[in-house]
Amino acid sequence: MTTAILPRTAVAARSYARGVSAGLRRELRELRRSPDRLMALVTAPLLTLVFVAIMLNNGRDDLAPYAVLAPALLVLWQMALQTSGDTVEAERENGSLEALVAAPSSFPAVIAGRILAVTAVSMLGFAESWAVAALVGVRVAIVHPGVFVGALVVTAFATACSALALAALFVRTRAARAFQNTLTYPFYILGGVMVPVEFLPDWIEPLTRLVFLSWSSDLIRQSLLPGPVQGLAEHVVAIVLLGVVSCAIGGFLIRLALREVRESGTIGHA
Amino acid sequence: MPERTSSRPDVSTRLPRGTAWRAVVASTRNAWADFAATFTPLSWTLGWLGRIVAQVIFYALIGSLLGSEEQVRYLYIGAAVLATAMETLLVVSTSTRERYSGTLPLLVASPSALWPVFLGRSVQWLPSGVATATVALFVIGPGFGVTFTLADGVATFGVLVVLAITTYGYAFALAALVLRHMRLRNWATNLSYIAMMLVSGVTVPLTFWPVWVQWIAFAFPITHTLVAIRHLEEGVRPGLHVLGHVGTAVLVSLVWYVIGAVSLQRLAASGRRDGSIEFAE
Repeated sequence: MTTAILPRTAVAARSYARGVSAGLRRELRELRRSPDRLMALVTAPLLTLVFVAIMLNNGRDDLAPYAVLAPALLVLWQMALQTSGDTVEAERENGSLEALVAAPSSFPAVIAGRILAVTAVSMLGFAESWAVAALVGVRVAIVHPGVFVGALVVTAFATACSALALAALFVRTRAARAFQNTLTYPFYILGGVMVPVEFLPDWIEPLTRLVFLSWSSDLIRQSLLPGPVQGLAEHVVAIVLLGVVSCAIGGFLIRLALREVRESGTIGHA
Repeated sequence: MPERTSSRPDVSTRLPRGTAWRAVVASTRNAWADFAATFTPLSWTLGWLGRIVAQVIFYALIGSLLGSEEQVRYLYIGAAVLATAMETLLVVSTSTRERYSGTLPLLVASPSALWPVFLGRSVQWLPSGVATATVALFVIGPGFGVTFTLADGVATFGVLVVLAITTYGYAFALAALVLRHMRLRNWATNLSYIAMMLVSGVTVPLTFWPVWVQWIAFAFPITHTLVAIRHLEEGVRPGLHVLGHVGTAVLVSLVWYVIGAVSLQRLAASGRRDGSIEFAE
């Protein structure tokens, strides 16, 4: 009866929120039971050691913040990518994708919930890499804590949005896992995850500005280094804007893909 | 009366029936078919090769960050050579797939021993791994200051082949162990690969680590073959020193091959005894 007096948009919003919540809870359960989904968190400590060792071997302790930040960002992107690909692919393999799409709850909402859960868990990568570095005697101070936390929040938002856009792409293809693999290291380079994009050739730099990670990595790195943070507002706006664009594209593509596969009957293995 | 046709796969080999090598050769057919089903020439080139080359460049760029051309070269060679080992480690994934797809019990029940089947099952990764490192080292490498003379280049290619075959031994043993603990299959592959990156001289020299870590590194064939390739790139002629490293890698890998074969036979024996080989996990 409550539903009857609520405006349509409120009902839709509540339904969407339920979908997000269901997806989130489902993903958290899945993560607990599937060690493979946590692979990036398992490899992060070793990768931290790899990057820290390179810096220490070259006597460049001053670059320790780069070495500690990179594995955390790798975890963030890797887990988002894995979820966006595996979510659709696993449902497809399981034969449950059709049921999920046909269910009354919004499919994009369920996917968004799952991606949100993974993004939240992947933030543990930051704690891991900082802890591992500290264990080997490399302590990286957070010089601008406010900027650091703010940068993490907007980065998490943009990561979740990008993953949604990728999930939309993966609904349309049966080669999701191949794409997943391909979209790792090229993005790490363009995102300046380890090496700032200023070190790349000039002709690539404009392209890097379309990758939210390039803004995120730059801002987070600045928050770890002494000296004032340059272009704070510009960085935050760019990250949020790229996130919003990804979300809009993702939402649109998912709806479009669902309409197409419903019409053509090509969603599953048939 | 209709003519009888055989539905048995065509495993034409001159090797005598009942021999282990016949099973190995037959199993390689599966490997090539698997590879053809996974990649097209276009998806391998643009997708797989592109991704690996990006990975190699990612590590070389750290050298730029350090402001050292020598480090660019060092990291580039390490990452390029590691690509061969990394691909070879995919043996674990393709081997364990037999259990996921429910064919392991059939293999255990067949007259052939288990180890020849798995020895040939994943050979597709050998040429693929050698090819990616070859492109990275010889085609893109010069852009990062990595150059070889013709003779050293040919010798390096040979060492890459040895690296792939010797790392295959390690991966073969790992696959045999992981077949008992399927949930760890991706962990085993990824942790092995990053451990190699960490301690085998890929990103920092072996001497960076304490002696006990160096001893662990010696268990990876790449530790020895990578030293040989670095010597060749530096222009050291393939003399006894280089051959010594290659020979050590071969000896280390023989131990891994034996461990793998014995583990697989034990898996089959214990599976028959207690019925622990189920059709799928």
